[in-house]
Amino acid sequence: MKKRGRGVAWMFYPIGFTAYANPSAAFVKVNQDGSAVVWTGATDVGQGSTTALAQIAADALGIPVELVTMVTSDTLQTPMDIGSVASRVTYIAGNAIVRACEMAKQILFEVASEELGIGPEGLESRNGWIFVRDFPERRVRLAEIARKAEVVKGRPVIGAGSYNPPTTFLDPETGHGKPYNTYVYAAQVAEVEVDTETGEVKVLRIAAVHDCGRAINPLLVEGQIEGGVAMGLGYALSEEMVLQEGRVLNTKLADYLVPTSLDVPPIDVEIVEVPDPTGPFGAKGIGEPSLLPTAPAIVNAIYDAVGVRIRELPATPERILMALREKEKEQPGRSVRDREDGRPEK
Amino acid sequence: MTFHLRFWLNGQEVRTEVEPDETLLWVLRERLNMTGTKVGCEAGDCGACTVLLDGRPVTSCLLLAPKAHGRHVVTIEGLGSPAKLHPLQQAFITYGALQCGFCGPGMLLSAAALLTQNPHPTEREVREAIAGNLCRCTGYQKIVQAILAVSRGEVP
Ligand code: FES
Ligand code: FES
Repeated sequence: MKKRGRGVAWMFYPIGFTAYANPSAAFVKVNQDGSAVVWTGATDVGQGSTTALAQIAADALGIPVELVTMVTSDTLQTPMDIGSVASRVTYIAGNAIVRACEMAKQILFEVASEELGIGPEGLESRNGWIFVRDFPERRVRLAEIARKAEVVKGRPVIGAGSYNPPTTFLDPETGHGKPYNTYVYAAQVAEVEVDTETGEVKVLRIAAVHDCGRAINPLLVEGQIEGGVAMGLGYALSEEMVLQEGRVLNTKLADYLVPTSLDVPPIDVEIVEVPDPTGPFGAKGIGEPSLLPTAPAIVNAIYDAVGVRIRELPATPERILMALREKEKEQPGRSVRDREDGRPEK
Repeated sequence: MTFHLRFWLNGQEVRTEVEPDETLLWVLRERLNMTGTKVGCEAGDCGACTVLLDGRPVTSCLLLAPKAHGRHVVTIEGLGSPAKLHPLQQAFITYGALQCGFCGPGMLLSAAALLTQNPHPTEREVREAIAGNLCRCTGYQKIVQAILAVSRGEVP
């Protein structure tokens, strides 16, 4: 018999660890034509960080993103970044890039202030223009100022910046302290169908609602969440590394089962933007948080469907059948199979 | 003993000498320097090495090269070009359907074969057509959306 159930799970996840040094650094130069080059050690492994960081640089300088060239992850050329780990890149490398751009922008604004007759603190830049904040129609092309800075004033427009969420360390005795700079929050709901004859679980739908601070690039954020849900689904139902005396027994994709396009259900993604004052333009992170609530939501949905608590992952058909059998032993005659409405005894 | 292999690769005739136990994947990458076709598991499980053999997707890691003799092989290099992307490639970009991109060549060829045989597939048929192409990054949703968009003629 096939039984349906729904489960929900919440999570919070830390961004920007502070228990030990966690730096990123960036260089930037603004060219005479108003384009810019950014050097960052941050590495894009497909999550799209180079795109998001280019957007951050563009907004920090006030130029169109098409005019930003990124030079990334080259230990000879690019400054320090500790790595694409811990969902930290947008937050930490992004902050470093903002700081580098602020330095370059200060040079631009100092040069532009002569032209616009107001101190640098009264200026802003957007979309290739530098303008007076209170009188935006008083403006000058950023490219013109960049050229003037270099050619007339002898002040090349460059910047360097680094960011490290304040390292606080933890108390070595108690482990207490402030381990992270900020947190993201999320909830996911899973709907499943459990076959009580075979123990098989089919996930019918997942809803994933995530806070990531400001979503610098919503399409990429969605991609991270969808991919995370698929990983969480594998963690919940099929992926298990079998170890024997320290050796992995299932080293093939034929016996370590990654979800296919037929296993991953439609995913409803919703991004809840709660800009964080410590993040670049309010951004936090989204990589790992996306997969955390999936397995508990699925396991709760299994409980809702057939009334058994699976406490060891993955929830394979075998484990589910065993749990159903246990339950039947404990409550003879009250098996889920006997109930007409399909709701489990709880 | 070498085998004189002759086949059509992306529309051009290719002749090369191969060992009879070499796979087509190996011949493409190591003898012909066509590295768009990816090496994943080399066991037929991941689909990263997918190419089209007479229009049908096959895992080139399991295909002995002599089996391609006299036949038509299409690799990702034959699907569109940087100057003129195939509609599926354009749709994958528009929909953000790839992240690391490693599954991309195989995924695109499986999708291209599907749309040739079945220009208006259902979502279920799309998911079945790419079920042999594992993707670790995307959760498949944007890939499926991109393929369906092309089938509806919605991509430039
Ligand atoms: S490399 Fe051929 S299927 Fe994985
Ligand atoms: S995009 Fe990374 S495996 Fe598909």
